[in-house]
Amino acid sequence: MSPARADGRPGDLALNLRATWGRMYVRVVGSAREPTWIMSDAVFPALSMASFVLLYRALGAPRSFESLAVLGGIMATYWINVLWGMGAQLYWEKQSGQLQLYFIAPCSRMSILTGMALGGIFMTTTRAIFSIAVGFGLLGVRVAPFALAPLLLVFVVTMTALYGLGMTLASLFLLYGREAWHVCNALQEPVFFLSGLYFPLRALGALGAVAAGIVPLGLGVDAMRQVILGPAARGWLPVRVEVAILAVLAVVFLILARASLRYLEALSKREGRLTQRWQ
Amino acid sequence: MSRPAVLAARLRTAAWLGWQIEANWADPFTFIVYSAVRPLATALILAVMYRAVAGIASSGQAFLGFYVANAFHEYVIRVLVGMGWVIVEEREEFETLKFVYTSPIGMFTYLWGRSSVKFVQASLSLLLILTTGWLILGLRWDWGAVRWLPLLLSFVLGLIAIVYFGFFVAGWALVLPRAAISVNEGVAAALTLLCGVIFPIDLLPRAVQVVAMLLPFTWWYEALRRFLIGHGASARLSSFSDGALLAALAVSTALFSCVSVWGYGVLERRARQNGKLDQARLF
Repeated sequence: MSPARADGRPGDLALNLRATWGRMYVRVVGSAREPTWIMSDAVFPALSMASFVLLYRALGAPRSFESLAVLGGIMATYWINVLWGMGAQLYWEKQSGQLQLYFIAPCSRMSILTGMALGGIFMTTTRAIFSIAVGFGLLGVRVAPFALAPLLLVFVVTMTALYGLGMTLASLFLLYGREAWHVCNALQEPVFFLSGLYFPLRALGALGAVAAGIVPLGLGVDAMRQVILGPAARGWLPVRVEVAILAVLAVVFLILARASLRYLEALSKREGRLTQRWQ
Repeated sequence: MSRPAVLAARLRTAAWLGWQIEANWADPFTFIVYSAVRPLATALILAVMYRAVAGIASSGQAFLGFYVANAFHEYVIRVLVGMGWVIVEEREEFETLKFVYTSPIGMFTYLWGRSSVKFVQASLSLLLILTTGWLILGLRWDWGAVRWLPLLLSFVLGLIAIVYFGFFVAGWALVLPRAAISVNEGVAAALTLLCGVIFPIDLLPRAVQVVAMLLPFTWWYEALRRFLIGHGASARLSSFSDGALLAALAVSTALFSCVSVWGYGVLERRARQNGKLDQARLF
């Protein structure tokens, strides 16, 4: 193995893979260790989803809308994880005094973020099972049999784009303190709205198109609904087109994350804010 | 200085401090946008959900009631849950809870003062949501049919229940360092579901309906709908006369408030005994 380089360039592949595994391991193991976090990650989004499903029921909407809301509710858990488990993670680390350890490690920062993302996806998927149980079990929402392979493909592309955005957000929060917390707070419900999590994306019209070009969640949810529900999903664009756009967004966000991480790390070091707590 | 003057001064100080903590991280414009964006987004989610099914759904008339209740739900989210967040911020984030306890202000007065800022924020969110609904979404009601006196009475009773239950949530936050964030979020999500904010409680399982009817907020939302827009949302609660509805709200508020004050005292004592008042475990 080549000697480790502090900037984590490609020559350190084995080291970076180990760092990715190490950061992912923490999340995988930790996901079962904090019961209250299981509650907040799994149960509470399911409660909100149930409210929206019951709203459709109260309005006398066709049952397919309830399926839309359940799928949106499941995907909401991933957006919450991207915001708080990716975006704000470096803020948490800064507050707990651990951020400097990331920076004295010889691996790439991107490998750490990748581990965080993979662990986050695993952790959130285990949480999403509860939403699936509430939606399809407790609330009695039903979907017809569907092809699993296309769904997995769409899911993987969506997660890559979504967590790429999360990595970019994480780099932004290297610089900021309390603002990071408030930005995460401010981004939660508006993105639920702009991504059409609880209604068909095309109901937003042009606004949905603009939002879909910025946050990949809406396109991902729309594509997954089309795979699962078919025409009842009232999809916006053909699935192939949505997957292609998501793939482009994934590449763009990963490149952006790498660039912004380098830039903001240097900036926050210069301004002495990298390890500054209680900003 | 007389006792009321001392209380007023302490409340004013707590409110001023609360305002600084809430708002001094941003310039006023950013703060206003930040404060408006979440409630507005939630209201728009409901509006677009309704629009998406408006041509095919059969109960469009009921939507106005859900929208209005969701607007008033801002008080629960901001004030009630916000009082739990005060504990989290003071203990975990700023590590200043011990200084509040060692000052003469008293925790009840401090929480009350801090909640007054959140009350103003919730009121502005309420106005924003209702104005957006009225002007942009066409969600209107007949002002001539509004029954002001029972509406005002309901509003005040609901606020009392919110503030007192807020004390209870703050008490739970005291004994549950690290888990307090989850408790706060859970209370907000659970009350949205249990109290039938955006759907009638008739859709809940029968046993859960009984729990819902023990909560003052369920009666509050129904009363606000009935006295503001002229009709409630629940078939089960519509069998109650106006007087019975107000009585149920008043009794549940009184019981809830007593239990909350007692519960806060018990929880605070336990937090002191277990050394949790200053136990910062989040960061």
